[in-house]
Amino acid sequence: MKGLWKYISPFAPDQSGATAVLCEMGGLIVIIDAGGCAGNICGFDEPRWFEKKSAIFSAGLRDMDAILGRDDRLVKKVQMVCEKIDGEFVALVGTPVPAVIGTDYKALQRMIEVKTGIPALPLDTNGVRFYDSGSEKAWLSLFQTFAGQSIGMEPGTMGIIGATPFDVGLEGFDFDSQKVWCYGMGAGIEEVKKASTVMKNLVVAPSGLKAARYLAKRFGTPYEVGFPLEQIKGYDSFIENVKKDLSGEDAPKKILIVHQQVLAHSLRQELRRHTNAPIVAANWFMMDKELREPWDVPLSEEDQWVELVMEGGYDLIIGDPLLQKAIPDYKGRYYSLPHFAVSGKYLAFEE
Amino acid sequence: MLEERKAFSITAKEMVERGKEDIPKELISNEHLIYSSPATLAFNSPGAQGFGVKRAGLSIPGSVMLLVAPGCCGRNTTILSELGGYSNRFFYLTMDETDIVTGRHLRKIPKAVAEVYESLETKPTVVMICITCVDALLGTDMERVCKKATDLVGIPVLPCYMYALTREGRKPPMVHVRQSLYSLLRVQKKKSTMVNLLGHFAPLTDDCELYPLLRSLGIRTINEISRCETFEEYMNMGNANFNLVLHPEARYAAADLNKRLGIPSIELARVYQIDKIKKQYELFAGALGATLDDQIYYEEAKETVDAFVAKHPGLRISVGEGCNANAFELSLALLQYGFQVPEIFANLTSVDFVYLRKIAELSPETRIYSNLEPTMIYYDCSEAQADLTIGKDAAYYHPDAAHLEWSSDIQPFGYSGLRHFFEECEKALKGEACSWLEEKWDGAKTKKEEMA
Repeated sequence: MKGLWKYISPFAPDQSGATAVLCEMGGLIVIIDAGGCAGNICGFDEPRWFEKKSAIFSAGLRDMDAILGRDDRLVKKVQMVCEKIDGEFVALVGTPVPAVIGTDYKALQRMIEVKTGIPALPLDTNGVRFYDSGSEKAWLSLFQTFAGQSIGMEPGTMGIIGATPFDVGLEGFDFDSQKVWCYGMGAGIEEVKKASTVMKNLVVAPSGLKAARYLAKRFGTPYEVGFPLEQIKGYDSFIENVKKDLSGEDAPKKILIVHQQVLAHSLRQELRRHTNAPIVAANWFMMDKELREPWDVPLSEEDQWVELVMEGGYDLIIGDPLLQKAIPDYKGRYYSLPHFAVSGKYLAFEE
Repeated sequence: MLEERKAFSITAKEMVERGKEDIPKELISNEHLIYSSPATLAFNSPGAQGFGVKRAGLSIPGSVMLLVAPGCCGRNTTILSELGGYSNRFFYLTMDETDIVTGRHLRKIPKAVAEVYESLETKPTVVMICITCVDALLGTDMERVCKKATDLVGIPVLPCYMYALTREGRKPPMVHVRQSLYSLLRVQKKKSTMVNLLGHFAPLTDDCELYPLLRSLGIRTINEISRCETFEEYMNMGNANFNLVLHPEARYAAADLNKRLGIPSIELARVYQIDKIKKQYELFAGALGATLDDQIYYEEAKETVDAFVAKHPGLRISVGEGCNANAFELSLALLQYGFQVPEIFANLTSVDFVYLRKIAELSPETRIYSNLEPTMIYYDCSEAQADLTIGKDAAYYHPDAAHLEWSSDIQPFGYSGLRHFFEECEKALKGEACSWLEEKWDGAKTKKEEMA
């Protein structure tokens, strides 16, 4: 039945994706909700929140605020916070409540900017879409608002766009170079302001593609799309094991990778060095046509996943362990590669 | 010159002088944005710690839950699904963008309930339909939808309202869910020797004196929903002679049971002042026209308190609200026992002034903070020294102190609650792990017969 999920619990929503991008950017993040969404975002989807203080607030909306559309009260509360707490910007992160009452984000943005003199980033997330949609909006909005004028490129520099704990794990990347800026995970708003100086961008998740294209158009910064697989915990032993599997007597005839598209794409390219078996990528999230192969499968329902696995003839699957709950009758090999946006478990090749 | 950035607080003396009509805006949650820190997790997302609507809604034995909401509302349920006793009990009917505006999802609910029912090998006793802020705004008549679903599958289907928007309203979600849970009970022949304990979703500690004290009054069966192993046992709660309300959020459920089934109720509060515990038992017995001999339990608790006081004179204890206590009542009790309470981290309401006035007399400089206030981002643990913290929130502010979370599912109450509290404080100060307090309640582990 469309919309019914019997085995798999809901994936990270767009409001969490937007917050993950902004978490280390030094802004005041206001979740326009009654409290529960902010609790879910922080308590479940943002592992960094437990480690360091971040200025994340709930609007604390009550029924009459929503019914009467009391935006002025919200603006006043934001103004009060801006007087007491320093922030580079105010991000307005939407949830189902403003989606139902049709909040005018542009108007909110204008009112807050006039009252506080601080830039406001309206992000019309709604809790219905998935995390990558919210991240995409936040990446684009950040660079559109803060990437200043072109001041010339600095040789050897690289920006990484798309990194959040959802797609790359909690640790991010370790590139041992001052000249690599991983936006949102190590590199903050000051680096975003100097985005025009990087020689190229590396996009590690589909949510970063729109921003990378924007920067390419605005500053002429070229971008590549790919995931540095060797930085994933357990990668070396995984690749050794999978190589044995791929060359053994009962080598898989058809392989399925279920993960965020950039990672799945990079992994597929690596596996193709060791097998001629068809490799299909599938997921419920963004599938950009730049990376999509004709046989790749965009999913939208739980039933589709069950059908894909049980009728697709796959005998090796690489994906989040939570997804196995829905396919107890699958008899092939299953390599566990957690996706934080799915199970809340950190990215790592597991034994 | 830059203005000093500091967390807002007020002393107990200043607050009492201002009075309950003049609580500073900083301490009133709907007057400001809600700061989100690990100390506020229980407020923002009650389900993330302890019992929220979702977990509480599954208290009826054999029940399952269908969460009808945008995906974001079910996100943290992944954690619950991994807890023992909850796996395979949560199902989701996710809304899309059209649903949240038009409400067309309502037509799908009976069919979804039927599909869930059909898919389960062990058939559920009840299906709880949990709905969220979207349906609050759409004005959904979920009772009607549940009736349709009941007609289709032939088992009770109940609504469960996770309306965060109504948190401070007349009937907040945790009040509503308690009413829903007992709404299936039907009028039955009264058993004079049966009582229901209402309010909690996990039982009192097995050694709580309330059980033997009730038995000394001739009570033979003490029902708690968390100790019911079967649906039939749960339904037997309709036979009770009276209800004991142990949590104020169960008042509405008790009033509903009185109205529908004619079961009256008496409320007992959880307090940590030993003389108040004694007084409360006296009043309770008096209301029943009986007497209770609680001396042995009183002395046992007093001995534990005295030993702890003697061993740790002048201990500095910071008290938060993320624990099984009213932060102000517990603070007052600790001050009366002779400890220092430099800070209280809690949402102050007018009801708390009864404790606050006495706190101001004993310790006028005790500072009150609201976890929810935005300037708490600037809280610096050097503002006050703490040897021990009570509650997860207070622990967050004083990472280097000894910590007692005191937020277990299993509920402390009365003399035994007080005794356990100081025993666990002692363990916390020694750096030892707590015992039963760490456990999540995942079902009826101790049968009623064993209790007897």
